[in-house]
Amino acid sequence: MPASKKKTVKSKTDQIGLPDETMLGLFSNLLKTRLLDERFRKLYRQGRFAGTYFSAVGQDASTVGPTYGLRDEDLIAPSHREIGASVTKGVPLDKIAGQIYARESSPDKGKSHPCHYGWKAKGVIAPSSTLAGQTVVGTGCAMGFQIQKKDNVVLAFFGEGATARGGWHEALNYAGIYKLPIVYICQNNLWAESVPASLAAAITDFSDRAKAYGFPGVTIDGNDVFITHKTAVEAIDRARKGDGPTLIECKTYRWYGHSEIDPADYRTSQELEDWKSRDPIKFAEKTLMDIGLLTTTKKEALVEQFNQEIDEAIDAVDKDKYADPEEAYNDVYSEQFPVRRVDW
Amino acid sequence: MKKTTFIEAITEALDEEMARDEKVFLIGEDIGIYGGVFKATKGLLDKYGAERVIDSPISEVYIAGGSVGAAMVGLRPVPEIQFADFITPSMDQIIQQMAKLRYRSGGQWTCPMTMRVCCGADIGGGLYHSQTNEQWFFSQPGLIVVMPSTPYDAKGLLKSAIRGDDPVIYFEHKRLYRWIKEEIPEDDFTVPIGKAALRKEGSDVTLVSYGLMYHRSMEAALALEKDGISAEVIDMRTILPWDREMILESVKKTSKAVLVQESSKTGGVMAEISATIMEEVFDYLDAPVTRVCGLDVPAVPFAPPMEHYFLPNAEKISKAVKKIIEY
Ligand SMILES: Cc1ncc(C[n+]2csc(CCOP(=O)(O)OP(=O)(O)O)c2C)c(N)n1
Ligand SMILES: [Mg+2]
Repeated sequence: MPASKKKTVKSKTDQIGLPDETMLGLFSNLLKTRLLDERFRKLYRQGRFAGTYFSAVGQDASTVGPTYGLRDEDLIAPSHREIGASVTKGVPLDKIAGQIYARESSPDKGKSHPCHYGWKAKGVIAPSSTLAGQTVVGTGCAMGFQIQKKDNVVLAFFGEGATARGGWHEALNYAGIYKLPIVYICQNNLWAESVPASLAAAITDFSDRAKAYGFPGVTIDGNDVFITHKTAVEAIDRARKGDGPTLIECKTYRWYGHSEIDPADYRTSQELEDWKSRDPIKFAEKTLMDIGLLTTTKKEALVEQFNQEIDEAIDAVDKDKYADPEEAYNDVYSEQFPVRRVDW
Repeated sequence: MKKTTFIEAITEALDEEMARDEKVFLIGEDIGIYGGVFKATKGLLDKYGAERVIDSPISEVYIAGGSVGAAMVGLRPVPEIQFADFITPSMDQIIQQMAKLRYRSGGQWTCPMTMRVCCGADIGGGLYHSQTNEQWFFSQPGLIVVMPSTPYDAKGLLKSAIRGDDPVIYFEHKRLYRWIKEEIPEDDFTVPIGKAALRKEGSDVTLVSYGLMYHRSMEAALALEKDGISAEVIDMRTILPWDREMILESVKKTSKAVLVQESSKTGGVMAEISATIMEEVFDYLDAPVTRVCGLDVPAVPFAPPMEHYFLPNAEKISKAVKKIIEY
């Protein structure tokens, strides 16, 4: 390991000491995220919505854990694989589904393509597709909170691939100088589309990057939702107190292709099987059952409840229509500057 | 009344807006301790403190994108890009975030920020300290683009930009900073965005321009007057969205248009104005719409004769006018 001060936290859930309610809450959100994510994959393959779909199955614990327990006013600065953050932040499922279906009820009214969820009421920033884009903007939000002396924090999510971008470095550099209230969460799923992490950086632990910016970096097991939560809570507390940012690297893995149209044939089946054997859901479930917080019956009841919520959300957006195409003219400027209409 | 220079008008606008609204803050390179490389932010650090006048590291991506974020959470950032030449790293944030935030969020988030960009040639700045680059932003709906040419407009437009709810790229031409002075009212005033200024009435030809080129066009118009040619002079002031009504009405009246722009001809603002004149008022035209623009070369070359050769001036504009008058 390089001579940085970062510490490596191992999965030792029995040593975590989280309240029962938190542990159950984490499991519930993880389960709901997983069911929703798998449902969207199925719906996509059935041709029920246009575009493509970026599944986060397999790496869901690295978004659910850090997001759990945030306040509504705290912001999520997402990239494209943060369905778990939206679910855990409490974005209504029909808003998430509406966004994926690009329907009139979508917060963006159908303008952005799938997996660009944003819902202001719950503090999820509507993202661009430019990688690390929201890392820069999210850092600006943290600057805004600091200037206004608000004790809100920002959680910025990105993949390991995105950390090669210049703006990412400018943002972290700035956040370090001003000790901004932000926590950076790198979902290192070992691949950036088809490019392995070894071709994205000459370091193995992406948390090493924090050293250059003068704040702590920590690498953790991203498939252990209790660890991701606990590590993030410490970082969030630090950020809220004015002690500055933390970079948390979650080692994890996406089970499916980069998006649903990617067969992911650049990686070995052995690698996939290894990671599948470390399924975040199974791990959390077993942990809770071992300590007597969960039973099979209780889990099945949760599955049923969430599936019903998902059914209702999908039903609603299935019935919803696309917005009138002239919606394209809206939300370009404030009302002061209406867009000229074309007489087709 | 005392005369105010173009740059003083900018400083006054910043000062007054910061005093009026505590949500306004500045961020940029060398803007604090140093007061800006051209001194546009002189004295503001002492008055408003380091939390509202931020000396940023050399990070044009962050200056732009960080300002978008601060705007999202309720502030009114006024970032400065030291030279328009170095706005390139910010492009990603300007185009993908600043311009599209409102659209992609279905209006949930807005981006009330004003990016001041120091631009322009005719100061011996060479390839990397002379560019204007407004044409890159002109083709991006979602942005407001302004380029004032007088101290009055510089102050009034900057205030409108800061108070408005849309993202504005505010180009300030450095050649004008200390050259152009005028008496401006002491009272608070604004200049509306999206409205051009009719600087001189005329009947034979319409001259359209903005920024430094407005002054060159006016010089040409005054010279042409002596030759018995009556030129109407329009200063666009706002480039996006531009004042179609004023320009089209004027062309309908004069039946001739010469469009003047400092940046390279190809793909510039005036190409769009020209195409629109053709589309909308073709029947009124008596001569081809003509453009007088910077050369189609990568940037403004340094050697003084070459810089001079690159740029439109009164003589070149007059020549173009005479050519279409004789058409
Ligand atoms: C600036 C930019 N370049 C390229 C792309 C296309 N692209 C989308 S996702 C992706 C890979 C991202 O990898 P990583 O950051 O590791 O995130 P992951 O997809 O693994 O979650 C690429 C190249 C993009 N969206 N933005
Ligand atoms: Mg990745």
